[in-house]
Amino acid sequence: MPPDSSTPKVEARSPSDATPEALSVANISTLIGRVAKQDRAAFAKLYKATAPKLLGVVLRILKERSWADDVIQEAYLKVWQRASLFDAGKASPITWLVSIARNKAIDELRKHPAGRTSTDDAMDERVARQPTTQDQMEDQQEVSKLNQCIDQLAKERQDMVRLAYLSGWSREELARQYQQPVNTMKTWLRRALQDIKGCLES
Amino acid sequence: MSEHDDLDMQIAEFVLGTLPADERRALNARRLLDPAVDARVQQWEERLAGMADDVAPVRPGPELFAEIERVLDQQTAQSTQPDDTASLVTLRRQVNLWRWSTALASAAALVLVAVLTLQPASAPESFVAVFQHDDQQPAFLLTVDLQNRQLNIRPVTAEPQPGKSYQLWIKSDELGPNPQSVGVLGDQMQLDKGALKQYDPALLREATFGISVEPPGGSPTGQPTGPAIHGYLYPAGDGPSHGI
Repeated sequence: MPPDSSTPKVEARSPSDATPEALSVANISTLIGRVAKQDRAAFAKLYKATAPKLLGVVLRILKERSWADDVIQEAYLKVWQRASLFDAGKASPITWLVSIARNKAIDELRKHPAGRTSTDDAMDERVARQPTTQDQMEDQQEVSKLNQCIDQLAKERQDMVRLAYLSGWSREELARQYQQPVNTMKTWLRRALQDIKGCLES
Repeated sequence: MSEHDDLDMQIAEFVLGTLPADERRALNARRLLDPAVDARVQQWEERLAGMADDVAPVRPGPELFAEIERVLDQQTAQSTQPDDTASLVTLRRQVNLWRWSTALASAAALVLVAVLTLQPASAPESFVAVFQHDDQQPAFLLTVDLQNRQLNIRPVTAEPQPGKSYQLWIKSDELGPNPQSVGVLGDQMQLDKGALKQYDPALLREATFGISVEPPGGSPTGQPTGPAIHGYLYPAGDGPSHGI
């Protein structure tokens, strides 16, 4: 079907030289604002600046490249539709974008739990996050604070939280790994989240 | 643990990703209805976002964006078609999951089963049905307050169809084999809040709802004649509390 002639066309159809952190937060907010006005050029720029980040997050959850690609596609279509709902006062633009993609990835994973072959490799690439000197140098107070707060949890619970968030492990998968009843896992996860929240607010 | 805290923890687990699939779907639907819940989801997203900072970016293949653009071009072309046939085709593509006449006989009937979780006796008996165009985009949201038998229907992505009306139907074994009309949505896509008054809450709890596209003013036959969109029912309150 031929595209509507009134649609602004994008010059580069394949933004291949993606440099993820090339744009500032403010720039990304501005781009989302333009996307809300159906600006296709802004959409291409937004994609180029942020898709590698989103794909990294989604691929870590789904493991399968083509599955992750599908989710990224749906995520950006949703970004196009919902850009007008983005509120810079409520969410940082990157968090908003990552959340759309991550949400979709987890929805997919819960719908087709067998689609991901195993959770073993997730355990391998695990989680034992060593604070680096770069962390201290980074001008990202919130990140450091979150990691500090997670690091205050018992080691197992740190891993559970990260396996869930980063690799999409379900309560059941965690329960199997840690040989606990599912309800105990629920309790542990909620306590961990409660502790993280309390720590962040302190 | 108070109800407020329990909701907060449910939202936290939703964002973490460990909320069970049924509660997850219900919360996804509830977010769309309730800005306060949505705001709390966003707060948790902000709190936990830092974990993703260590994830290494992965460069997408060059064809992926081209594909996204292709779909957008297609959508743009479809939504700007003033032609009634074209918009009907779009609609049919979106809602061809089932039709009333064949629904119960087909495998698609599975999606008709209302997904209900019994609430703790003290919780407000409010349910939400999501009428989906496809996997992600709800077309309508219907909330039913069982206690007061009040309904509220809200279009989400559904749009008025020129020369067509949307009609809401209820189906329950107790009402016989055929769906009954609840009402025809007005120009503002609204329906009388009391339209379910005549039905017993126990019946409403088990019923399935459908929305069909009909000639202006509603179905001439008293039965759905156009393509129908199914609705799942989800509890809109907090999920079953297991206590902590």
